[in-house]
Amino acid sequence: MASFDSSDSETLREQSNHKKRRKIGHHTAADHNSAAAAVPWRSDAEQRIYSRRLVEALRRTPLSPARPRAAGQVRETADRVLAVAARGRTRWSRAILARRRKLWTHHEKAKKAPRNGLKRTTERTNRLPAVQKKTRVLSRLVPGCQKISFPNLLEEAMDYISALEMQVRAMSAIAELLSAAEPRRPESPAAR
Amino acid sequence: MSSRRSRSRQTSSSRNITDDQINDLVSKLQQLLPEIRNRSSDKVSASKVLQETCNYIRSLHREVDDLSERLSELLATTDTAQAAIIRNLLMQ
Repeated sequence: MASFDSSDSETLREQSNHKKRRKIGHHTAADHNSAAAAVPWRSDAEQRIYSRRLVEALRRTPLSPARPRAAGQVRETADRVLAVAARGRTRWSRAILARRRKLWTHHEKAKKAPRNGLKRTTERTNRLPAVQKKTRVLSRLVPGCQKISFPNLLEEAMDYISALEMQVRAMSAIAELLSAAEPRRPESPAAR
Repeated sequence: MSSRRSRSRQTSSSRNITDDQINDLVSKLQQLLPEIRNRSSDKVSASKVLQETCNYIRSLHREVDDLSERLSELLATTDTAQAAIIRNLLMQ
């Protein structure tokens, strides 16, 4: 994706205008206003595109004969295709893609200096131990979000949830299609 | 890349972040959660919202795992011709 940006992050502050101009032309991952540029996870088009790409990826994947391993392969493929659909705009999606590409770990570690963590942006609410504890749990559920600020974590979680919901819808639809195409199989109708 | 985005955002937000902004995010998150969406008129505590968020993400993960299992079984038995048919169906 945008690994070339690692050196640019240093020069960004000096050349912020230049970077902004480049940003408009370049489709980089540095979208500040992620709300405006959010992926429409709810749209039918987005789901269709995802479904198609997932089926193509699955067909290309030689599935292991061992059932648990094959299920894991499907899960990994589904997650990877989902992360690609996020177009690099979210931390969770980049973290998922980084799982496979070992060379990305290099960049992730270099940039992930815990600048603020939870302490600087702590408000009264966030100091409550219950909230802090649940925040930590949440940060482990959303990929790549263990050391980001509370507001960022909430935004990532919202986008991640919408993406997961689409993933579930798409995979359910594919499973229905596949089981419909297999009449011999005594498939119990899934109550989805 | 990611540091640039979070750095610039945190530079302004760590100075200006208010309870209101946090509450706003929390209520937006609340809207996504099926469990407490219907009670949106009352203010739900941040702790509750976070709890429900974690629960919901975990249940979504479980669904994806179940679906992955189901798909892996279906793909083992579906032959190439049927997969091609499905792909055509998906393209419509």
